[in-house]
Amino acid sequence: MSPATPPKSPFLATLMDLPKNVWRSIFRNPLPSNDLERSATSFTNFFLHIHPVKVHKHSLRPTYTFGLGLMSFFLFVILIVTGILLMFYYVPSTTQAYDRMLDLRGTVAFGTLLRNMHRWSAHGMVAVVFLHLCRVFLTGSYKKPREFNWVVGVILFLLTLFMSFTGYLLPWDQLAFWAITVGTAIAGYAPIVGKDMQFLLMGGTSVGQEALLRFYVLHVAVLPAILTLMIAIHFWRIRKDGGLSRPDDADPKPSLEAMENAVAPKASVPEPKKVYGFQGLVRGPLTKVGQVPDNTVFSWPNLFLAELFTFVVTLSAILVLSLLFNAPLEEPVNALHPPNPAKAPWYFLGLQEMVSYSAFWGGIGVPTIFVLLLLAAPYLDRGPKGVGKWFSRDRLLANTIFITFVVANIIFVIIGTFFRGANWAFVTPW
Amino acid sequence: MRTALAIGTFFILVIHGIVFYNQFFHQWERNQNAYFDQARVLAKTDTERAALAARKPRIEQIVVSNFGETRVDRCTTCHIASDDPRFVTYAEPLKTHPYSTAMGDTQKDGKWERRHKFSEFGCTVCHDGQGRGLDPEYSHGNDEYWPDPLLGFTTQAHWRKDFAPKLKGKEYMQANCAQCHTEIAFPGTPLVTKGRELFFSSNCYGCHRIEGLSDGTIGPDLSDVGKKWKLDYLWGRIADPKFILATSIMPKFNLKDEDVKALVVFLKSRKGRNFAETEIQRFKVKLTGGAELVQATIKPVEIRPAEMIKQGEKLVLDRACTACHKLGERDGGIAPDLSFEGLLKNEQWLLAHFKNPKSTMPDSIMPAFRFTEDEFKAMTAYLMTLKGFPAPADGEAIYKALCLRCHGEKGDGQGPIAEHLDPYPRDLTKSGFMNSKPEARLVASIRNGVAGTSMPAWGKLLSEEQAKVVLGHIQTAFTKEPRRELKPRQIPEKSPVAMSPESVARGEALFVNRCAGCHGKKGDGKGANSLDILPKPRNLRNTAFVDSVDDRRLFESIQYGVQGTAMPPWIDYGLTNNDVGDLINFIRSINQKPKGGPHAAAIQ
Repeated sequence: MSPATPPKSPFLATLMDLPKNVWRSIFRNPLPSNDLERSATSFTNFFLHIHPVKVHKHSLRPTYTFGLGLMSFFLFVILIVTGILLMFYYVPSTTQAYDRMLDLRGTVAFGTLLRNMHRWSAHGMVAVVFLHLCRVFLTGSYKKPREFNWVVGVILFLLTLFMSFTGYLLPWDQLAFWAITVGTAIAGYAPIVGKDMQFLLMGGTSVGQEALLRFYVLHVAVLPAILTLMIAIHFWRIRKDGGLSRPDDADPKPSLEAMENAVAPKASVPEPKKVYGFQGLVRGPLTKVGQVPDNTVFSWPNLFLAELFTFVVTLSAILVLSLLFNAPLEEPVNALHPPNPAKAPWYFLGLQEMVSYSAFWGGIGVPTIFVLLLLAAPYLDRGPKGVGKWFSRDRLLANTIFITFVVANIIFVIIGTFFRGANWAFVTPW
Repeated sequence: MRTALAIGTFFILVIHGIVFYNQFFHQWERNQNAYFDQARVLAKTDTERAALAARKPRIEQIVVSNFGETRVDRCTTCHIASDDPRFVTYAEPLKTHPYSTAMGDTQKDGKWERRHKFSEFGCTVCHDGQGRGLDPEYSHGNDEYWPDPLLGFTTQAHWRKDFAPKLKGKEYMQANCAQCHTEIAFPGTPLVTKGRELFFSSNCYGCHRIEGLSDGTIGPDLSDVGKKWKLDYLWGRIADPKFILATSIMPKFNLKDEDVKALVVFLKSRKGRNFAETEIQRFKVKLTGGAELVQATIKPVEIRPAEMIKQGEKLVLDRACTACHKLGERDGGIAPDLSFEGLLKNEQWLLAHFKNPKSTMPDSIMPAFRFTEDEFKAMTAYLMTLKGFPAPADGEAIYKALCLRCHGEKGDGQGPIAEHLDPYPRDLTKSGFMNSKPEARLVASIRNGVAGTSMPAWGKLLSEEQAKVVLGHIQTAFTKEPRRELKPRQIPEKSPVAMSPESVARGEALFVNRCAGCHGKKGDGKGANSLDILPKPRNLRNTAFVDSVDDRRLFESIQYGVQGTAMPPWIDYGLTNNDVGDLINFIRSINQKPKGGPHAAAIQ
């Protein structure tokens, strides 16, 4: 425009600036070009302020975390989005559910894709959450001060399993019906409360309309709410426990010079009159004052790019799977005609395999011991060494016990999935 | 990192492209567009052309609620020309559904009028398939999990290869016609009628129950077999029963393919309840046992006295007796050999056995067939002419010819048909049993048979000497241990306690305490322990057997046990002779007959 343009009317100017002003009002900062703006961007954005402004380089190492925790979260997000869309078409009624599945598969726009994505993300989430749990254990990250967050994580893993299990029934086909029949039967083996638990879960003595409704409500309302809350706590605790775990030698040791006239610290009984700054209450090595040398980088763009990358990889994987493989939909439910063998969902096949040896020990005893051991691990294993390293020699015993349990379960799952035929007889799959 | 991100994002975009393409460019849209184009060419008036030009591809569906559960049939989305008579010569899916006078369609002024309008009936009510689907694979039911693939058109990939080609043909749809057209011998469903006749003439009804038709209990209930199973399974179970279920005891009937097809169509039409019936009609059928339909289906043979034997032979062969029994070269492998029947049984026994097999053999699995009295008489007359062949000379040959079928090659009572007999054939290798019985008793069992069991009386074929020769062979080949001298035992000839209500009551109390564990509370040999015992505990309600045994033998079996079986000598467990007498009286009392029987007098 030529400089000779006549002065615009104020209204026109306002109108011209409108898009810019709207943009500014939403995103307070321009694309950051210096450290101050990088800090401000992380700090003032609702979605980004969950992250620290600066993040430790060790936490960004792909081979340390493999992005498993984030992957679990993104799978959960995919599950929520696809799940809500599926809810628009689903009716939790024994007479309608299966027809709705047929509609989803044949008639509803993107129905097949939605169902596939939801199915494969659900299976994926069970697997990835478990891998995440393995990562955290094998790097010793549950140790002080992260004990409670580990407990939250184990609960999240159990919730994920339960979430997937409750969703398994909803298509109301033979696969769903018999898997849940077997799965709830395993719950029935628990001593004293087993039968009552089974009854409560199914709303009767067999899988039927009541069970379908209960599983639906658990699947779409109760469990997601609990899961979301627990995830929030999980994330919150990561920040409050000082970020991801890392080995002691990941930080350069600040060389502290003795200050003259320094007053020797008093015994740590807080004086009643003392007023503390909030900084003083924040635990962990991220709170630093002054120019202490460290190994951190700004979250923008280092952390955010890594997170975006994890998201893109997760989404691509799920999309490819959904394009290549259709979620199974078997015959409509026929309660009089069980398939032989009737199998639980794959992640419970280890249990079912063990149940075939001993109902109580396989279905309840061993899994309960495993879960209790997991929950108690940070309180039993108090040695401070070996944090932040994969397979640390200092944690040989703990890792060995853990890996034994995991490998045994994986072997049982593989046997249960591929090597069991009619009447649960051993068959070779080839 | 940034390149990887760019690649990943591009990847997601590509996948979305594919997904959107699949979503918005359906096969059915292309079909509909092809139809619109063709129809425009065929259109005669401008308004017609304009109407076609205005039409856009859309999902067509017919919602049918008149036939059972509400059906949503979207078949006409692809088969959009099915009601457009101009497309008769086109290829599927753009082909006119054929018109047929047999189906009730009428022609008026060159225009066809359908009897079964698509708008009222939909498609799947006749054709099966999955009405909701829009993808040919799913809607035709190619998917192995879909329970109702298009009847007579779609065979699923996992169906047995040698059966699949036989399962094509529109005649299979008669099974669905019969859901509404339940009239007896409805002309539109000849295969259903033929199948129902075969169901009776091949004696399927003897073992299988179909609501309103038959009451067999040996085989599975077939009342809703057509709803449960696909054609492939039905064909397979009839043509090769053991292929699908290795433990099946169903005989393999030698049926022609067209007969199997008729049976399959008939069975496919059994879907529990069909649309045509009202509750009241079902109740009436329940009350009468479907007599009307059965009467119309069974075609009794008129027996002429002069040709009785010949007609009897034809009946025995036609009505599939040899699907179970052995007769000459034919052998069903389930029931005893009939070749010597004329020597082993008498007319009275045969007739009684025909009318109610359990009256002569309480644990027989032979069904009671619904033949007429004359037919039974003709069959009896024929069977009485069967004299087999003279017995061979040496023991081994006799055993192979007469005994092996039940007692087995090794003499262990596990012959080819043993599992279908109750009680089981005696295990001849048990020396404990064989050597504790006097030779005279064993010879008597061979020559007089064992009443109430499948052991026939060979007396008319085998002389006393021949019976001893066979026994000698059994002794050396199977029992192996030489016979020993039997210790003389103190055994009364008659029950030591006189028959009286008090004695029976004492006997019952003792029986419940001591015997019921194996012989069962009812004395029917089905006590809790009987599952683990071989030979099975004796059924003490087998009146024919109990009546054939005297008090002396009952007393000996109880007080001194039966060696080689699980029956212990009760003398060791503190039973007195009087206790045994009470037990004998109790056992006699539960085998009372209205009249007759050698012990009837004692009971009265």
